[in-house]
Amino acid sequence: MKSFQRTEILQVLIVVIGLAAAVMLTRVSDARRAGVQRQFGDEPLYVSATTAKRLSLAFNGLASDFYWMRSLQYVGGKIVAYEDSQAAPSLGLDILAELDLRLLPQLLHISTTLDPQFMAPYQYGAVVLPAFNSDDAIELLDQGIAANPSAWRLYQHLGYVYWRRNDYHKASEVYATGARLKGAPEWMMAISARMKAEGGSRGAAREMYVHLGEGSNDEAVKDMVTRQIMRLDSLDDRELIGRELSNYKAASGRCVQSWREVAVALRAGKLRLDSTGAPLDPSGTPYRLTQNGCEVELDDRSLVPKR
Amino acid sequence: MSNFTPAASPAVSGSAARVLWIARNSFREAVRDRVLYNLILFVLLLIAGAIFLGELSAGQEAKIIVDLGLSTMVLFGVFIAIFVGVGLVYKEIERRTLYAILSKPISRGQFLLGKYLGLCGTLLVNVAIMGVGVSLALVYIRRGWDPLILKIWPAILLIYFELAIITGVALLFSSFSSPALSALLTFFVFIIGHFSADLKTLAATSGSAPARFVFRAVYYLLPNLSIYSVITPVAHGIAPDVRSIALAITYAIVYCAVLLAAATLIISRRNFK
Repeated sequence: MKSFQRTEILQVLIVVIGLAAAVMLTRVSDARRAGVQRQFGDEPLYVSATTAKRLSLAFNGLASDFYWMRSLQYVGGKIVAYEDSQAAPSLGLDILAELDLRLLPQLLHISTTLDPQFMAPYQYGAVVLPAFNSDDAIELLDQGIAANPSAWRLYQHLGYVYWRRNDYHKASEVYATGARLKGAPEWMMAISARMKAEGGSRGAAREMYVHLGEGSNDEAVKDMVTRQIMRLDSLDDRELIGRELSNYKAASGRCVQSWREVAVALRAGKLRLDSTGAPLDPSGTPYRLTQNGCEVELDDRSLVPKR
Repeated sequence: MSNFTPAASPAVSGSAARVLWIARNSFREAVRDRVLYNLILFVLLLIAGAIFLGELSAGQEAKIIVDLGLSTMVLFGVFIAIFVGVGLVYKEIERRTLYAILSKPISRGQFLLGKYLGLCGTLLVNVAIMGVGVSLALVYIRRGWDPLILKIWPAILLIYFELAIITGVALLFSSFSSPALSALLTFFVFIIGHFSADLKTLAATSGSAPARFVFRAVYYLLPNLSIYSVITPVAHGIAPDVRSIALAITYAIVYCAVLLAAATLIISRRNFK
């Protein structure tokens, strides 16, 4: 009986120590593989969209979901790696232009080829792809519109892409086409008119982002929309602050030396001020005086995106 | 099957009653198989896992659950249909219980039909349990009732009839072949059945007349399983219409009748000694 118990204890020890050793070895292996993964992480996909559709048999919807989630993980992984390397705060989709997302157009294309009625990849492509290649975004959305001719939301996304390219005339046309579809909301036609009249204005931009955020279930997209609206609000704030600084200089012959000198005027402009009289940006960070008090800019700690 | 005594059972008369008796025994035998419970448990776990997977999908949880849940149902249903189906007749032959059964006043065709219906009953229960699992997952994700929960059930019905066809194919192959080969051939039929659209295209675009004939023959002779592939539209909330469902069910009944008739013909001429 005693020797049996000893054997059992030995077996338990082997299991516990063995598992601990396996965990350690896995961590060592992962650390060594990280470099290899970075090197080969962007290997071109060897399965084309048509082949994937053929191979998926009756499971094309599931395969589409797989490529969709892979797209999200691909972008998310790149964002996390960038933020870690730059020791930057979480900026979500605002840093897309800094990233190399060469596989993303193909991943989204495969997902939508497998399931052309899957709307989420089209919207995601409309938001993310223009940051580095708007032609890919347009191609993706044209494919979506061909497969879903009555989906007005795709026209909204395509119009957004053209707007980001500063092609306001084309954006207006696309919005107008989408507005004529059954079920399209009235604001589509209103945006079309606004694009034609004042495509580059902040008001048009604000309206675009509001409707983009309302139509998305993706938290990353909603977060991006919130930040962009903060940026637009901040531009309005800085314009107002710049006017007050210019007024002060014109009146006194010199630039301000502290925020308190223009605090009254800023408060009258409905800006929020902190205890030192400094106006706060939409993220709650005080603006900074530059050029010896003649100009204003965002503080480095601000969460408002710079573009 | 040793307790088959149609003469002793109350109100048992006629070939239909004999078939149902065998079907009931076949059903009982199948549900006693532990592999089935493990497969169903695995599918239910996968469906539960889909809830967590959905969190990686940026707001597409319901679609992921329907896609993964119904796809798993098809895949595991096919495994059950194949591995239980090819053993339906083979086991009886191996255990020599077939001789005892056929010595009773029951034809080989009735025996085969009863076995087939028993497995179809098993598949019905399995598919229903998995369907309830997917529905509950959707209720959880949507925090209550959602119209999508109702819309998946026509797709589940079509999946069931697809599995009924696969079971028939497995039964046909097992009537003249070994279990391993029957399983492989049935799986190939499942794959090719889903390529039917490509077969049709090949038949239309082939250069030579013999090739066109062959592709067309294969297209029509093999089961057209693509008409049962409605998972993707259902995941978007588009349920198949009544006419499509009726057509698919009629096709399944007709095709299964052909398979069972062919299997009966082969079994009738087979010498089991």
